[in-house]
Amino acid sequence: MTIAKPSETLIHKTTQLMREGMNAHAFGEYRAPEALGDARWTDELILSTWYMAETGKIPADINFKTGKSGGGFDRLEFGYIDESSWLPHSDDIDTSLTLNRRGDNKNKIDIDIPWYGGGMSYGSVSVNVMMSRAKNAKKWNSFMSTGEGGYPPELFEYSDSVITQVATGYFGVDENSIKATPIVEFKYAQGAKPGLGGHLLAAKAGEEVSKLRGSVPFVSLFSPFPFHSTYSVEDHSKHLDWIETVNPNALLSVKVSTPHDVDMVAVGSFYAGAHIIHLDGSYGGTGAAPEIAKKNIAMPIELAIPKVHKFLEKEGVRDQVTLIASGGIRTADDIAKSIALGADGCVLGTTDLVGMGCTRCANCEGGPSGRGCPWGLTTTDVELQEWVDQDWGALRLENLYGAMQWRVRDILRKLGMSSVRELRGRTDLLRYITTEGNS
Amino acid sequence: MGSGAILQSQTDADIGVSSKSQTLREFGAESARIGREIADSYERYHIHVHEVKDVDPLPHRFLVKVGKFGLAKLLVKELVTYFPKFDVILSRPCTYGVFSGPLGGFSPRPELCVGCLRCTVQHPDFVEVLHNPELFKLGDSYTTHGHITAIDEEARKGMVPVRGQGYRGRFGGPGFDGMLTDMSEIVRPSRDGIHGRELIGTAVDIGSKPMHLSFNEDGRLSEASPDMFTIQVPFIFDLPPGDFMSDKLSKVVEETSRTIDTLACIDADSVTRLGLDLPHVVPVLRSSDACRISEFRNSRLIELESWDIVAFEEARLSTAAIVGIRMEFREGWQGRLTDAVESGVKVIHFLADLHGRDPGGSFVSDLFKEAHLMLIEQGRRDAVTLIGSGGIVGADHVPKAIISGMDAVALDLPVIFAIQGRANAPLKNRDEVRGTLPKKFNHSWSVQRLANLCGSWRDQLLEILGAMGIREVRRLRGEFGRSMIVKNLEDEAFEGIAGYPGGGSR
Repeated sequence: MTIAKPSETLIHKTTQLMREGMNAHAFGEYRAPEALGDARWTDELILSTWYMAETGKIPADINFKTGKSGGGFDRLEFGYIDESSWLPHSDDIDTSLTLNRRGDNKNKIDIDIPWYGGGMSYGSVSVNVMMSRAKNAKKWNSFMSTGEGGYPPELFEYSDSVITQVATGYFGVDENSIKATPIVEFKYAQGAKPGLGGHLLAAKAGEEVSKLRGSVPFVSLFSPFPFHSTYSVEDHSKHLDWIETVNPNALLSVKVSTPHDVDMVAVGSFYAGAHIIHLDGSYGGTGAAPEIAKKNIAMPIELAIPKVHKFLEKEGVRDQVTLIASGGIRTADDIAKSIALGADGCVLGTTDLVGMGCTRCANCEGGPSGRGCPWGLTTTDVELQEWVDQDWGALRLENLYGAMQWRVRDILRKLGMSSVRELRGRTDLLRYITTEGNS
Repeated sequence: MGSGAILQSQTDADIGVSSKSQTLREFGAESARIGREIADSYERYHIHVHEVKDVDPLPHRFLVKVGKFGLAKLLVKELVTYFPKFDVILSRPCTYGVFSGPLGGFSPRPELCVGCLRCTVQHPDFVEVLHNPELFKLGDSYTTHGHITAIDEEARKGMVPVRGQGYRGRFGGPGFDGMLTDMSEIVRPSRDGIHGRELIGTAVDIGSKPMHLSFNEDGRLSEASPDMFTIQVPFIFDLPPGDFMSDKLSKVVEETSRTIDTLACIDADSVTRLGLDLPHVVPVLRSSDACRISEFRNSRLIELESWDIVAFEEARLSTAAIVGIRMEFREGWQGRLTDAVESGVKVIHFLADLHGRDPGGSFVSDLFKEAHLMLIEQGRRDAVTLIGSGGIVGADHVPKAIISGMDAVALDLPVIFAIQGRANAPLKNRDEVRGTLPKKFNHSWSVQRLANLCGSWRDQLLEILGAMGIREVRRLRGEFGRSMIVKNLEDEAFEGIAGYPGGGSR
């Protein structure tokens, strides 16, 4: 069956119904669909994210902080100081994040919020989703990563807010995309499928996607694992040198997953020249991944952050590198807890998609229809991708980020802090809750 | 179906070699020809899988309820609003065909629903998508409906289950859920990425390897070749639990084990009655029947149901096959293990209950580890093959059991669920499991379902080994360092956090 681009009327009808439906559930006009949510992303977390994306505000009567996974972030809460000492809520509470701590002559970049958007490639998501994220990143003086799929031409307008990812298949990587960006991210591995490389299914590698990736349309694309040019930390260093040659000012980010020796990997990356060590925990991921990998390979991010933070401290280099956490970061509370555990900031992926309507049905890889996400997010289907309008998507994310920033500030003021930078590594402010529930 | 072919020697390959004297050039050409022919005759081990339909489908994941009045109202409204734009009027929120039957939404097809929830989000006033309670009734607290649906899908498709989005379950957990496997960021056994998995070996040896080589005065090996053989996957089929034993099932596991080159444990009486005395069949004998062991002339491995030194000696003297011992994790198993291995037993098949526990509640990962370390301590780990049964109900359990010290595992409940058998909870004690196999229980269908399951589990094992950078599963045995225990990681990560009790999540 040939799927044609939908008419404007059909787009209007469908998007209106979708948006009204999301709001009706988020605002409590209808109870949450029974089949919505799972242990990590509960129905309340999804609905509260929809609420924040629509209003820019924190919901009053839904749990927007934790899931019900029974461990990790869901067992941690902050031990606030006495209420009489709380700071007033203020936009002056600093939530900025410095991305270059090496003190070298590369780009000096501070972003306004302690998180940015993770890599989701063109092909794994539609161009409309990419553009929504890029527009939002620009508004927040933050970033989003291309993932491994290259730059759709529209994206160049936002290249100051875009991180170019270089991954093992080198899809979409060329001098233009490296030169265009302030930050180049090397993806060694990803948390959802560590050590397994990447795989874009044939159905999602359409004409436009394959053109950017330099491949044949509708042929499965594998990103091998690992980099075939990297056998050692010395090779890793040379890898970074290559980028430096093409774009001398670019910051270098190294994205790795969370094996047992992640601490040593992080230190090795630092000495190889990385400005950003990006840890991607095992419970995250937005694209298709083998179920066995998601659950079993490598460790959840909550457990990796303190390990790496402490080791970098022990090595005496902690303040020269920015430690970023991703893979299972869902909420503002998760971000604050990650920072308290030792990260400088976080990267979001799934949260962005949920903000734009994702119900986490897990059919990103195509599902039985072979067309990809029915919400128009993780698809390049000519009809389905129209369900996400770029400006609507950007606005949803802008609102969501605004609410999340508010919540981060709320946490900070209740801890008596005027900057998120004070929170890093303050595990003494965390409490472990032995009974499952809300923090 | 499967092939355990290894690179054949020149003689085996029956490649003619010229006996006349040759020039160097002729010799080179001849060598190249032989090399090509050998290479062409080489077949890498592969389990052939293809999708086979359900004969007794599991309950649907979701129920879809549509209010007929609400739907009729919507249709009228859209007809009025959008006429004559039929592309708009006829568009529906489902891309999976739930509402595309002859009667549309008036007779939805829930079997097609994947739970994207677009319909109920868009039309909350008259569409509901509910979990199907019938699905949740499957299994028990250990072998959950999630395990059963995964096995069912693996046996249907023979593929590695792949889904979008991240992990959806609980953080860590008891048993195997509390164990993670490690990966390596850079080092790889092959530089071929995803294709490199083809080069990873899953073969394991059954039997005993010499702990050292002995030579006679002539400098020749003074002992016979090692008493062992190789199977191509580190899992075998165990005796079916409870009342599932049947002749038809015995024939299914026999054929499957033969085609994928593994082993099937079948009770000795059935082996005799059905004429299944074959190399891939492991007759299981009561110790009191050890005298019957010579009946099984073609077996490579025969198991006695329990450790009894008299029975073992009698059996050993009466057969050329390896005599293995099934050993429950009951009190005193450590002593029995030591006695058995000291007495020359080369294969120990451990049995925990179907929840993977011993009577004291210890989990198999700890029990396997204890057995493995005990034999290392005694300096004879390689002299014996350890096979573990009990609690292996997911593809991830195979590498985790091997990391814990087993050479291979044996599958019990997965065999039943692969061929769409139904078993009622509780699924804990082997003897007490009660259930049924499908009424339309076709032999070739069942063999393919089981082969699909094995193909899927082997491929998932390759994913785990590939991520670690390990080239063969034999090297994974007892590699505790390739695993991470969640509670240990939590102790390290949350140390000093107020209220953290230690020992992992409660």
